[in-house]
Amino acid sequence: MLSDPERQAVTHFLHMEARLADEARYAEWLALWTDDGVYWVPATTDPGADPEKHLSHIYDNRGRIETRVKMLQSGFRYSQEPASLMRRLVSNIEIDRAENGELVAHSNFILAELSVQAKHEMHWWVGRMTHRLRRVDGALKMCAKKVVLVNAAEPLPNLTFLL
Amino acid sequence: MSRESGAPVRYDALVRDDRIHASLYTDPRIFADEMERIFHRGWVFVGHESEVPRAGDFITRPLGMQPAIMVRGSDGHVSVLLNRCMHRGTMVCAAERGTARTFACPYHGWTYDLNGDLLGVPYPGGYDASFDKSARGLARAPRLASYRGFVFASLSPAGITLEEHLGKAVKLIDRSCDLSPEGDIELTAGWVKHRCAANWKTLPENDSDGYHLGFVHRALFNTVRSQYQSVVGDERTIKAVVRDWGGGHIEIDWSPGYQGRFEWFGGAPESLVADYVGRMERRYGSARAQQLIFEGPAHALIFPNLFLGETNVAIVQPISVDECVHWHTPIFWKGVPEFNSRLLRQSEAGMGPASFLMPEDLAIAARNHAGLQAQHVEWLELSRGLNRETMDAEGRLVSHVTDETINRALWKHYRTVMTSA
Repeated sequence: MLSDPERQAVTHFLHMEARLADEARYAEWLALWTDDGVYWVPATTDPGADPEKHLSHIYDNRGRIETRVKMLQSGFRYSQEPASLMRRLVSNIEIDRAENGELVAHSNFILAELSVQAKHEMHWWVGRMTHRLRRVDGALKMCAKKVVLVNAAEPLPNLTFLL
Repeated sequence: MSRESGAPVRYDALVRDDRIHASLYTDPRIFADEMERIFHRGWVFVGHESEVPRAGDFITRPLGMQPAIMVRGSDGHVSVLLNRCMHRGTMVCAAERGTARTFACPYHGWTYDLNGDLLGVPYPGGYDASFDKSARGLARAPRLASYRGFVFASLSPAGITLEEHLGKAVKLIDRSCDLSPEGDIELTAGWVKHRCAANWKTLPENDSDGYHLGFVHRALFNTVRSQYQSVVGDERTIKAVVRDWGGGHIEIDWSPGYQGRFEWFGGAPESLVADYVGRMERRYGSARAQQLIFEGPAHALIFPNLFLGETNVAIVQPISVDECVHWHTPIFWKGVPEFNSRLLRQSEAGMGPASFLMPEDLAIAARNHAGLQAQHVEWLELSRGLNRETMDAEGRLVSHVTDETINRALWKHYRTVMTSA
């Protein structure tokens, strides 16, 4: 069982992470990751997807997460230049404790992205997230984030904002 | 250049040797002509045999604008069937891939075998003896041929053979397949599909454009080192070239600029490749193996819709005059499973909507398509490199990697196809 303060801390983390992503606060978002962080966006909704056998949209280790952020900060990431305007809702949060003590949060999200790089178009993104969180020096950090889009296997427009 | 509706488009007037007309990207009637003449008449890449390894395995995929099924029959042969019930036109198969024993239409239960032959019709009392089941099999692409597992189909019963269509460009396919010590590739990682708000011809042109890298991909080059670094320096020091293979097949060859082997693989630790190099030398001999490993896989368009994207295979799918989709999957070289993890990660870095390269290409493609709506300005430039391209000993035009030699090659072939009756 999770204590109420733990539950509140995880919920707060998910809401904060969503806000930092929405507002393109890249450095603060990057600081939420542990050094062994893995950021995974499968290209299928198949629960049996294996990133060592199947192509993913994103399967970043910490180094690649940093590359992703640096590109967004460079001013030349034209697929996010200017940055999309975004707001997302995170809901249906369920939290478990893994055997190693890490906290595992499952949630659903809806994200409205106004893409403003060529045509101004609203894109709706919907999916399920799994965060693995660990305390590092007292603060919660992400050591894994998996995002399964409902349309993961469909033709997708640019997905270079922070999902 | 406005024309009366109904008048045929004069493609020879729109495609000039040094410029092209903007309507080629924006006119819906031209798009309709292209689907008919290029995608529904000519040879089009459908899929790779490794995607349907066993009898009954199928994939569904568009053939131009038409829904098709590529299926391996019980006799082991691959067919391309149109995914349309012969009764009332319903798609008989909705899955993107799978294994089937029959295709049963969900509407009235007409059932076909893996060859498309009609097996049975429910309530047969409604038809008399003149009802000929053998004439009501699923329509199949009248011509089908493959080269090294790449399956191409044509919806026209007549025309040039696949061999004639590919011509010398089979060497480009060889270059990619020969990196396997068993001589085969496997496309089993699944496809990522990237939506693009631009005309479909933007994709083959951009995939083969060596001029844009230092500009469009500046964010990546400013952030990390990659194998493309050598082509964003001073114009005179760039050694990579473009080549026109004829038939609309065009290539960027980075290898003249490579400093060492496996540069196309982002370098490779000895521990990963030692065994592989040995097996390559045993199969091809030392000289050829070292050449293959140095040059790497092809970066080439096989007209009109197959892009050999170095360690990836990509498909160009037209949707409408204003939209297309770029599909990609990593090449797995048979006999080298130890490369697969890296190939997956390399693929995710380069291509797809969340990658580090293609999103910029498609963002710029969308801006390009938006800009082309300024039809007060009629023409696009196509002259770069006319002053320095040369013919090589094999009859291919070659030029500096930033030159529009291969755009001209693509458009010249396009004009030939579009003006043929």
